[in-house]
Amino acid sequence: MFPGSLMMGAKDRLLPLSVPYRFFATAVVFHIAAWLVLALAGPDLSMGFRGGQGWVLAGLHLVTLGTLAMTAMGAGIQLLPVSTRRQLGPVWACRLVYWLFAPGVALFAVGLGLPMAGLQHAGATLSIAGMAVFGGLVAGNLRKVDDLPGVTRHAWMAVASLVLLAGLGLLLVIDFTSGILPDHGAIAAAHAVLAGYGFMGMLALGFATVLIPMFILGPAVADAPIRRSALFSGLGLAAGTLGAAFALPLVAAAGIALGLVGLGLYLRAMQPCMKNRMKKRLEPFFRLVWVALVLLPLGLLVALALTLGAPADPWGTLWGFLLVFGWLLSFVTALLQRIMPFLASMHSSSLGGKPALLSHLAPKLPVDIHLACHSAALVLIGLGIVGGWAWPVRLGLYAGLAGSIAFGVFAYLVFRRYRSHMKAAAAAANQGD
Amino acid sequence: MAENEPVNVNRETGGPPEWLTLALECQPLDVRGLLAEGIDPFAAVMEAAAPIEFGGSLVIDAPFNPSPLRRILAGRGFSSYGRKLSEGHWRVFFHLDGGADWEKGADVEVMPEGAMTWREEDGIHIDVRKLTPPNPMLSIIRLIEGIEGDETVVVHHEREPHFLAPELAERGWRIARTSTEVVNVRLWLERAR
Repeated sequence: MFPGSLMMGAKDRLLPLSVPYRFFATAVVFHIAAWLVLALAGPDLSMGFRGGQGWVLAGLHLVTLGTLAMTAMGAGIQLLPVSTRRQLGPVWACRLVYWLFAPGVALFAVGLGLPMAGLQHAGATLSIAGMAVFGGLVAGNLRKVDDLPGVTRHAWMAVASLVLLAGLGLLLVIDFTSGILPDHGAIAAAHAVLAGYGFMGMLALGFATVLIPMFILGPAVADAPIRRSALFSGLGLAAGTLGAAFALPLVAAAGIALGLVGLGLYLRAMQPCMKNRMKKRLEPFFRLVWVALVLLPLGLLVALALTLGAPADPWGTLWGFLLVFGWLLSFVTALLQRIMPFLASMHSSSLGGKPALLSHLAPKLPVDIHLACHSAALVLIGLGIVGGWAWPVRLGLYAGLAGSIAFGVFAYLVFRRYRSHMKAAAAAANQGD
Repeated sequence: MAENEPVNVNRETGGPPEWLTLALECQPLDVRGLLAEGIDPFAAVMEAAAPIEFGGSLVIDAPFNPSPLRRILAGRGFSSYGRKLSEGHWRVFFHLDGGADWEKGADVEVMPEGAMTWREEDGIHIDVRKLTPPNPMLSIIRLIEGIEGDETVVVHHEREPHFLAPELAERGWRIARTSTEVVNVRLWLERAR
């Protein structure tokens, strides 16, 4: 009786838990691997990093592709169809994304670290194939949506960024051996802008308009201000990418300014949701959201300083660090620590009986340890980069590694508690028979 | 219209509005047949509402309380008043009077997020259809947090709300059963034993 009412099979939109969870589990493993690789590479290599092959670039891609993109894909394939109320695609296609992307990232990282061109090319090809299938699934889903513009505008920009960043990424890999690019550094910067602010950033901000109100029980975010925010962010992204790719500092600066305006509008649009939320006491995951939301504009300001003439050493390294580890890794691990028990709880009543309580599934101590270690890593490495001191960077890398291990323990405990619940539910169901 | 006067009336809170006598003169548009065939009758209802002039009325027969339709028509200036005539048969009277304060004195209460609630024999009903996510979940949680006894809550939704179950469990509630009809997924919520 109502416009756009779609009574599609709701159950079809809930994937088997194993599908999103394999992405999450792999993201957790790559998270540990990334910090381990960076810690082993040591502070000298990390501080002086300006691009180029080696273990720092490998560690960086274990975070960006292995942790951030992997989580975005796992969350996307499950949350997008439930949020948009339209099917994403067949389950086999979601599994295919994983089986292309996960080994692709592993091969690519090893190929960058050693370095071995063959492994790089094979890994990049598999990763891009996985991203292409994912992008196709998301685009297909978004084409059917006309009633969730807040999410869809950001998601469309993420898909467009994905296509461009994958293309540039492939060119960069080929350039390592063939030297086809006139300015490798400029294209690498454009690739980083598209990856950090385009694909991951837009996806994170878009999903946040649905997930944050849902997790804090706040009212829906109004569409008009999010639309304005998306417009400014999109223009900023385009200008920032062009400015970076063609080494045009003023264009890049204009892009950053537009991005900051877009972010301001976004935060203002989210404010009523925060203010009128039902959960007055925010859950532990939100502490990392605060960290991320502080470091996102800080990173943009550092980028602005770079375009206005600040030296690349240390500000370029600091910008990259704030973008990847400060904003994105903080935000993604925040949402991951809420999504994992949430999805487990959603599936936990599939055998009948009571669903597992979120509060029971999510242990607090490991996320507290992760928060402390992750924050320490951000502060120590940030200070070390700015001051040119090796010892805080070294300590920070160890703190990051310890935090990632704590996060791994959290993920393992969520899964173990879910399994225990399901075993008990199966036993109760058998007794009932 | 005397033969159309409901016999087995289950009317909710508040008395009928003054304009009801005018609306009783109208021939009802029965959309139950369309819904039984799986056809969304929204277009037919809008087509019927379009030519109505100020002061005119429209009457809809539906298998459930069409709360989202009432909200949408309220936005177009229609006040409404609903009656449950029998199981699976609601008659809703619409009157084009500007729709100002349309919910005041009506048979339903409207929550801050726009959800409608009313009471029937089987419990408190809440209609969250057409609300922007996560407002359906907010309304439901706001409602159950205000319930002290063992009352059942019947939710009228557009889809199975997967994200709701964990939040309900956290508050000691559960989805006892679900029924799926065209444009009306119903969930019966009870306290978990």
